[in-house]
Amino acid sequence: MAPTYNIAMVSDFFFPQPGGVESHIYQLSTKLRDRGHKVIIITHAYKGRTGVRYLTNGLKVYHVPFFVLYRSASFPTVFSFFPIFRNIVLRERIDIVHGHASLSSLCHEAILHARTMGLRTVYTDHSLFGFADAASIFANKLLKFSLSDVDHVICVSHTCKENTVLRASLDPLMVSVIPNAVVAENFRPLDHPAETSARSFGDHHPPPARRPLGPHDMITIVVISRLFYNKGTDLLTAAIPRILENHPHTRFIIAGDGPKAIDLEQMIEQNVLQDRVEMLGPIRHEEVRDVMVRGHIYLHPSLTEAFGTVIVEAASCGLYVVCTQVGGIPEVLPSHMTVFAKPEEDDLVAATGRAIAALRANKVRTELFHEQVKSMYSWTNVAMRTERVYNGICGAISEAEFYGYDAVNGAGSWSAARGRSGVQSFALIDRLKRYYGCGIWAGKLFCLCVIVDYLIFLALELLFPRDKIDICPDWPRKERKVDGKEAG
Amino acid sequence: MAPPSGLHHSAVPSDFETPYPPLVRSSTVPASLRSHRADPSHLAPEDAYAPLSPHRHPGAYVRGGDGSGTDARPRRVRRDDTSRSRSRRRKRFQKLLWVKQSYPDNYTDQATFLENLQRNPRVRPYDFWPLVADSTVIVQHVCSVIIFVVCFVGIFQERVSPVSVVGWGSFATFLGWLLWDWWVSHETHEGSGDDGARGRIMRGGSRTYREYRPPLQQDSSGLGQSMPNVSTVSISSTSNLPSATSSTSNLLQDQLPPHRPLQAPSSAAGSSTLLVPGHAPSRSVSSVNSIASQGTNPNSPTTTTTTTHRLGPDGPDQPPTPSPTARNSRAYVRVSTIKSAILIYFTLLGLSPILKSLTRSTSSDSIWAMSFWLLVINIFFFDYSGSSWVGSGSGGGGGTRGKRMPVASLSTNAALMASTVLASRLPSTGQVFSLTLFSIEVFGLFPVFRQYARHRSRRYHVSLTVLLVLGAGAGVGMVLGDDDAGGWPWKRGLLGMLVGCLIAVLAMGGCAWWLIGLQKYKNEIYGPWDPARPIIISRRHWDDD
Repeated sequence: MAPTYNIAMVSDFFFPQPGGVESHIYQLSTKLRDRGHKVIIITHAYKGRTGVRYLTNGLKVYHVPFFVLYRSASFPTVFSFFPIFRNIVLRERIDIVHGHASLSSLCHEAILHARTMGLRTVYTDHSLFGFADAASIFANKLLKFSLSDVDHVICVSHTCKENTVLRASLDPLMVSVIPNAVVAENFRPLDHPAETSARSFGDHHPPPARRPLGPHDMITIVVISRLFYNKGTDLLTAAIPRILENHPHTRFIIAGDGPKAIDLEQMIEQNVLQDRVEMLGPIRHEEVRDVMVRGHIYLHPSLTEAFGTVIVEAASCGLYVVCTQVGGIPEVLPSHMTVFAKPEEDDLVAATGRAIAALRANKVRTELFHEQVKSMYSWTNVAMRTERVYNGICGAISEAEFYGYDAVNGAGSWSAARGRSGVQSFALIDRLKRYYGCGIWAGKLFCLCVIVDYLIFLALELLFPRDKIDICPDWPRKERKVDGKEAG
Repeated sequence: MAPPSGLHHSAVPSDFETPYPPLVRSSTVPASLRSHRADPSHLAPEDAYAPLSPHRHPGAYVRGGDGSGTDARPRRVRRDDTSRSRSRRRKRFQKLLWVKQSYPDNYTDQATFLENLQRNPRVRPYDFWPLVADSTVIVQHVCSVIIFVVCFVGIFQERVSPVSVVGWGSFATFLGWLLWDWWVSHETHEGSGDDGARGRIMRGGSRTYREYRPPLQQDSSGLGQSMPNVSTVSISSTSNLPSATSSTSNLLQDQLPPHRPLQAPSSAAGSSTLLVPGHAPSRSVSSVNSIASQGTNPNSPTTTTTTTHRLGPDGPDQPPTPSPTARNSRAYVRVSTIKSAILIYFTLLGLSPILKSLTRSTSSDSIWAMSFWLLVINIFFFDYSGSSWVGSGSGGGGGTRGKRMPVASLSTNAALMASTVLASRLPSTGQVFSLTLFSIEVFGLFPVFRQYARHRSRRYHVSLTVLLVLGAGAGVGMVLGDDDAGGWPWKRGLLGMLVGCLIAVLAMGGCAWWLIGLQKYKNEIYGPWDPARPIIISRRHWDDD
């Protein structure tokens, strides 16, 4: 029987706010619960959501009252979260603290406090950062602080892993790549049968081919994105008139809102494209599928993207994907589902032209995309792989197995302070060693923070002794599904 | 088609539980992509759902279970015959997320990890002499600030008469303006296309020209020079430097009543009536001015032809031979410029008593400190790039015909504020007026001239730099000399020049050498995580936001 863990997911970003990180946390927690673990979620209080809440599947959410600074990221007060965090952790008997999203100060503080309390920590990075501008430098320094003493890091793509390793000066073996996933059932093509059991697929015949597109059939290009600069809306604005000019029987559907929406509208009016470009405005995540299935091609002009869940969703809906070759996007989908473009206006127009031509020639069997995507990405798989990370850091699987032979044999090349499963020490002096290497001034400052944190921890142990804190009863755990084969 | 792959699954214990339906390649791959399979390094969709044997140690990797897979697929058998290297290469770690890797998640491939990392991709090494040449711009500006401070100290210690300072300053400004204008008209007459700063200046000039439609029928007047700008009536000439240029030049023009009829017999009556009395230096200046202006166009029989000659191609949109309305509009422009110049002049004169008592309640120490920091701000925020004339109409799609705005307005404002607070320390109204006017000339107009001189020719630029360094050195030397020497401390001035030159050479060479030495610490990191820079051609204007 594999060990089960009590896991606390900590992030500033959770429902009711919509977004990629939020649904990632929710889906991962749900699937981990299905595998017999206990998962709670700690986030800050949202308007109308305070206190402790249970979601319908028994997922427990703690809404900690915190001052929200910007776009629902809480105000970074390094130590003020500690008392209530310790209380929650002791009450729920947490073993592993799993933080999400690099812009969430709650997550970083929780990792620091958890290490002070002697818990295992995991951090998942969802975003890419540059190294050039001042804001990035500052954010990278903070990330270095928080990740100096973390047991394992999960990134959503290989590009994201490289970025995080560079930003936080991590040992690459400490960083796992576990992609996002999609709930394929929520992104079915239009004519797809509602329930297709995956197990019986061997006997299932592939879905009937779509009616072939004639040369004069209308091809609809869908764009669903927040209309920001880094989502490439400027490229889109420049490319749309040219695409529509080159290809007469095409039209656009654009969903999403943002500061660049006005540019798009201006472009539509200047080129008199009102009947060929439809702007839907902001839509909810549940409606994304309904918009996607109206189209044939999904156009994704983003300038930076760690994973790009939306293109997976689009492919799952049976859309042929045209996307810019930036960030982690080239890793996400196989080449027969996508047409890549450089982030240039000309190339985007050309790539869209190629996609339209391929569809018109009926060379792309988009009706098969759904099943393929379903087999590539599933949250169950993500949960299993995350579980392996938990096993690795808790010592359930051996160090050699988790990190590989070559790493253990060449252990002399790794710094002694850098953590390793089983070797990762909770002793304060070892932790201080790790923080001290962060920089000439920053290292000392970080050490100071860690020492203060430790003193607060001692004070809390005196003021609120552990035995005075109630242990809360667990939601009935699900029986762990018998895998037959154990992961790892 | 499915059963063979099922066998495949049972034969190969996967890294993870793999309940995924085994698809068969032939049903999934688009027809057009079949040709890609010949390429051994290309991935196929089946890599996603054909997991290989569990594998943790890349060195000890043996591709087990492939036999069952190959047996099950006749297509693959054929291919394996043709390319054995391909099957070996397929074991390789791939940076793909949709492929079921046979490696653990934290596997780091030595070959592909950070393969797209670029270090210092856009660094171009500096050369010594171009760097030194570029640093002359900074030296020029620092020297002009030093000269201003020296003039203030001279006025403050009552060593030099404020009238002579402003007189010589105005004279130099006027000469500079003549030169500048001659260059402009000369270059435009040559018909060379507008490039860089000059082109923008020209466009701006024609814009102002368009703004003022000619309601008056007046003959051309003045010195036969084009006046490309119309100043708005405001005392804060920092917002629009070229307007200040013309205003001060007009101030000078206004001081030339006796000579004006000589040049422009049919000049506008309104402008020639002005006489600023009681300024002996300005009289002498004006006579020299007239000579200089006549020297610029010695062989022009009448003013009208000269004006046509000079004014005609002033703007790029203008036809080579301007219509009479264009000339009239030029005259109108000139008249309104003169009006506004008079206004600025008298406003300064009227404000001087107020400025004089502006900081009476503040101690001198605070003023020195404040003006020091303001001048430091001026030096640090000055736009040395030489491209300070940008269209501010960023919102519009056209944007090329936007209003001219100096980028370095913070710098200029700081300098003018410094001069104002410094002027408020002076005891008499005349001194305050002189210093303020001088500061407008030094900080408002002189940078325009310097920039244009640099653009025009390297020789002018270098000689101007040398002149400024010598002047600043001499000024500092003289000011530092003791008062009781009597007369002009020439020796100290010469010594100052020498020391100034030495310091300038050392600073320019040393800083350039230092900067080149520092280049080895440069470590810029670029990679696929950086936001891509979109290349958009159909829109000319692009705000990076």
